[in-house]
Formats: sequence, structure tokens, C-alpha cells
Amino acid sequence: MAAWSCRFLLLRGTRVIPPRATAERPALLVGCIRTVKTTTWFEENLTEDNQEYMRKSTAEEYRRQTAEKLNPLKDEPWPRHEWTEGSRRVGLVAVKLGMVPVWTKTGERHVVTMLQVQDCHIIKYLSKEEYDGHSAALIVGGKNVSPFHRSENQMEVFRNAGVPPKQKVTAFKVSDSAIIKPGTPLYAAHFRPGQYVDVTGKSIGKGFQGVMKRWGFKGQPATHGQTKTHRRPGASGPGGDPAKVFKGKKMPGQMGNTYITAYGLKIWRVNTKYNVLYVNGSVPGHKNCLLKVRDTVLPSRSSTLLNPPFPTYFTEEDGDLDEDLYDEDLFVHTEPSLTLT
Amino acid sequence: MSLAFSSASHHTAVRLRLGLLKTGAVHSSLTTLPTACCGGWPPPAGSTLPCMVSKSQRFLSTSPCLRAAGNDSESPKFVPPSKPVIVDKTQTVASLRKFLSPEFIPPRQRIDPLKFSIERKDMIRRRKVLNIPEFYVGSILAVIMADPNASGKSNRFVGICIQRGGKGLGATFVLRNIINNQGVEICYELYSPRIQKIEVLKLEKRLDDNLMYLRDALPEYSTVDPEMKPVPFSPTGEVTVNKIKVRMRPKPWSKRWERPKFNIQGIRFDLSLTPEQMEHAQKWAQPWLEYDMLKEYDTSKLEEQIIKEVQQEMSK
Repeated sequence: MAAWSCRFLLLRGTRVIPPRATAERPALLVGCIRTVKTTTWFEENLTEDNQEYMRKSTAEEYRRQTAEKLNPLKDEPWPRHEWTEGSRRVGLVAVKLGMVPVWTKTGERHVVTMLQVQDCHIIKYLSKEEYDGHSAALIVGGKNVSPFHRSENQMEVFRNAGVPPKQKVTAFKVSDSAIIKPGTPLYAAHFRPGQYVDVTGKSIGKGFQGVMKRWGFKGQPATHGQTKTHRRPGASGPGGDPAKVFKGKKMPGQMGNTYITAYGLKIWRVNTKYNVLYVNGSVPGHKNCLLKVRDTVLPSRSSTLLNPPFPTYFTEEDGDLDEDLYDEDLFVHTEPSLTLT
Repeated sequence: MSLAFSSASHHTAVRLRLGLLKTGAVHSSLTTLPTACCGGWPPPAGSTLPCMVSKSQRFLSTSPCLRAAGNDSESPKFVPPSKPVIVDKTQTVASLRKFLSPEFIPPRQRIDPLKFSIERKDMIRRRKVLNIPEFYVGSILAVIMADPNASGKSNRFVGICIQRGGKGLGATFVLRNIINNQGVEICYELYSPRIQKIEVLKLEKRLDDNLMYLRDALPEYSTVDPEMKPVPFSPTGEVTVNKIKVRMRPKPWSKRWERPKFNIQGIRFDLSLTPEQMEHAQKWAQPWLEYDMLKEYDTSKLEEQIIKEVQQEMSK
């Protein structure tokens, strides 16, 4: 891992002197240069055999860690409560695979995004006092990564939970009845078809963009005497009365690469074998990016969430589900073609 | 007892067909039997129809019992010859034309192969219910689709396939026809549940992969008779390539088809353009594209793998 250090440059008179030289007269701080003290990657000082061994041993350790938690006799899970009206359950971290079309039983076509839940584990429980004073939180991580590029602090957190290090680690606010023991794996069957979810992800970054792309301004005409003005914002406010530009004025700037939430997306289908959710419409982020998926906060869709698996879906306890769970309006490809009447 | 073969086979076959079986002279050679009994309709070369096999089996099954019945009255020393085993060697599995529908081949993108395999499972499930036949751009198809606004709730459209696009479950094909002097193009989704039947009336290929230029060609090239009878084709051997070169309407066209980026072989440019115009169109040529190694996408291994997977799943 690289460790940065800072060398301060001091100015005395017109000479830039190194900081180590001690002198009686005080010197002015000019600036600092960042110098790299140590850069190591895990394989730098190891022989080839040892590198191979490190890779294999971490892979085996991951498999062992994920398999262990499926044994109900080993660790007792925390006490489970029943679902009530106002309780909030935990969400998942999923990977965006791509988009496919689906058809309903009446022949309408919709597009869905496939989200795969890869190695989702609960990492930590933060009580109300520890988190923000209002509600408890569960920290969830998704998608295993190599331990060689994670700092020691991060590795300690994962080691306490007994899970491999994760690429994305997020917090979900939960009610006290929905807390789960750290180390529990989470699966796609946590959500059921017909339910609505909110998906949060980092949108694709477009860089510094002008006002036409960023805010959809109309710009100016291409001809008829326009001098050097085709994509400019034009006027910036009322005029002499406020005599200022209001805060939040739409102007050019950074577009994309921010966290955006898509609300109220219906789940059409859940594949329990590969842990894939089929979520209506599009979702922010590029393909193979990591997203937060949770139950909807929209009040008009709260009626669809009746008797969900609470606090989450456990493979040992809740029994086997079919490989594919479909929404009742969805056309399944094994049925014969539609004959509309 | 001698068995009447080729010379008498014809009228023995006739007698057999009428249900009058004479003992003894029943075993005509089975190679001549099918053509004799099936009369005027010539079956396509090299294919066996189930009726032929069952008819010969029927003759085989009826003959021994009647022979047994007749054995007591006639010579008891009659030994029937060994039954010939029919092995149809004209059509082996290896000689069937291998065709992988283009929508199975995934595009070259940074997408997890798991997504394509899940999609392929869905496509195979749909193909088990609806038979999607092999067809190419330039073939003539008839599609029956469920339509809430049509009488009888389904409508049939016949047309020539001018384009096949899309990958995976969203694969489409466009059929074009001219009905009452109006050109009509309909874009169908192969895996849509509204499609009830797809039949290939004429299977052939053209010189191009994309026949969008038929919009600017004379209408006779896009007209297909809606009551056309299906033209039989064999499942073995190469697909016929129709090397027709189409005459165009006068310019302007919807696209500049003479430009090298479209790479069209099937238009008679000499009738619509002068050689100077053809040369001028070559200015838009990009001769370096064929040497661009980053644009190479070799799908041969992927195709073999997918063909094997699809055939295995379909045979289950």
C-alpha cells in the first residue's frame, strides 16, 4: 500500500530551504510537496510460489467464510420479530447486469434491469445512539474483492464480522425489530415479485458539461446573425431589483457521477438460483456497477408490501422456493402463445 | 414360392393398397415400394416422410400373419426371407444444415456472460413452445400474430424479410410487402408472446444482409403474393442464394446506397448511376477498416459452444 508523506517548503529571503535545517530566524511556509514514502503491492516482495499460495489461500478462506454462516447450529441468530406496519427492513447491495424485455399476459412489453445479488453480507450493527440518534442502522456489504488492496482498518471490520472484504459497504436505516446478526448472508429472495423498490447508484459521469446538456436549456439559433452564441445560458436572472444572481441558478458544471435514487420500481421476477432481481425500467449507473436496493418509501406503493420475509429471507428456515418466482401479470415463456379475446 | 419383385411389384403394390393381400407375393422390394405407392406426388429428394416408413411397416406387419394363415392351406415348407431393416442413410444428423440464429451470439461488450446465459435459457423456453424456423434476410415468411383489433383476434401477414436485428430476447425481423399499391413493413419481435405462428414460405438468401434498399427499388421486387403456397426446401445442403440485382426508382433515394459503407451487391447501379457518380461515391470509402485489428470479433468458438448448448437444451 502506498503511504504519502508531506514535505513542507519554507522560504527565507528568496531561498527555499528544506525543513530539516534549523535556524534562529523564522521562515515562511511556502507550500508542501507530496512525496510517496512507501509503495508496496502484496506481490512485490514475495516469490512466485508464495504469490500463488496467497491467492489460493484467500480464495479458500472466502469460500469457507461464506459456507460457515449457512450452518444454523454454529451461531445462534438474533431473535426474530414479526413484521408490523411501520417497520423498515434492511436492503441489499446488487450488481447491475443489463436490461432485457418482458411481456405481460395482455401482450404489453416492458423493459427490466437485471440486478444480481453477489455475496451480500451484514457487516455491522449500529444501535440508535451509535448511528444518528433516530434509528438503528445495519451496515451491509456486497461483492467480494481481494484483501490485498484494503487498509488494515477496513480488514479489521471485515474480520470481526467473519466475512471476506467487500467492494461496496453501505448503511441501511432499520427499525429495531428488524436487526440481524452480522455475518448473515442476504439473498435475492428477500424481495418478492409484485413489490416495489428504490434503487440508488452512482450515475454515469459526464464530466464538466454545458447548460444545454446538463439542464436542457434551448440555447440560441444557429443562424440569423447570432455572434458566438449558440449554446450559452443567456440571461441569468431578473435585473436591477434583486441585483444579484440567486443561489442554485442552473449553470454549467459537473454532471453525473453522483448518487441518484430511482423510486417506485416494480419487481417482475426473482431468480433464486442465480440471485437475480428483474426490476422495472432503468436504474442509475453503468453495467456491472454496485447499487443499493431497498423497499420503497413511496406511501402509494406501501400496500404491496404485505408479509415480506422479515427481517430477511433465511435459506435454512424459510424453506425452498422455486427457481423462478414470477409476478402474476408476467408472461412466462413456458406458457403457450397469447390468444387475445 | 418365388416372390415377385420389380416386374410385378407395381401391381402387387396396387393390390396391397386396395387391401387385397395375396399370400406369397407380398414381399416386394422395399426400395421400390415407397415411390410406387405414393404415386404422383414426388417427395423431395433425400427425405423420408413418416407416412412412407409407416406404410412399409404396415405391409411388413400384415404380411407375416396372412402368410401364417395361408401356410396351412398351401406349401408348409415355405420359409419367409429375413425381414429387411430400413436404414435411411440419405439423411444423417451430421448432414443436417447447422444454423444458429444470429440473436444467440452476444455482442462484444463488457457484460457478464451470466446475463447472456440466463437470457438464452428464456429464449430456449420460448422456442420449445413456438417453433421459430431457420430463415435468412431475403426469405419469404408468413406470421400469424394475436391482434385485439383484428377480426378473429389474429392477423396473418406475408412478406419478404428485409432485416434481422437485435440480440437476445429483443431480437426483431422486418417483413415487407406491397398491399393495394401501398408498401407495408412490419417489425416483429421473435420472442413476443403475441406471435402465434411463423412459417417460412420460401427459404433463400440474397446477396446482402440488409434489404432496406427495396424501399427505393421498383415495387415488383417487394411484392409477395399473400396466398402463396410454401415452396418445399431440404434441411440438408446449402441454402440457395438468389443473385438477383434489383432495378431502382430514379434518384433521390432514402439513403445513398451507392456509398461503400452499405456495401450493397444486389442493386443494378449501372442503370441508375453514371460511372463518374460511382467513382465519386468511392470517396467515402474507408479501406483501412478491413485491416483494423481492434474491430475484429471472432465468434467461431463462441458459436460452437452456443450451438452445442442450444441443441442439448432443445432435445431435452
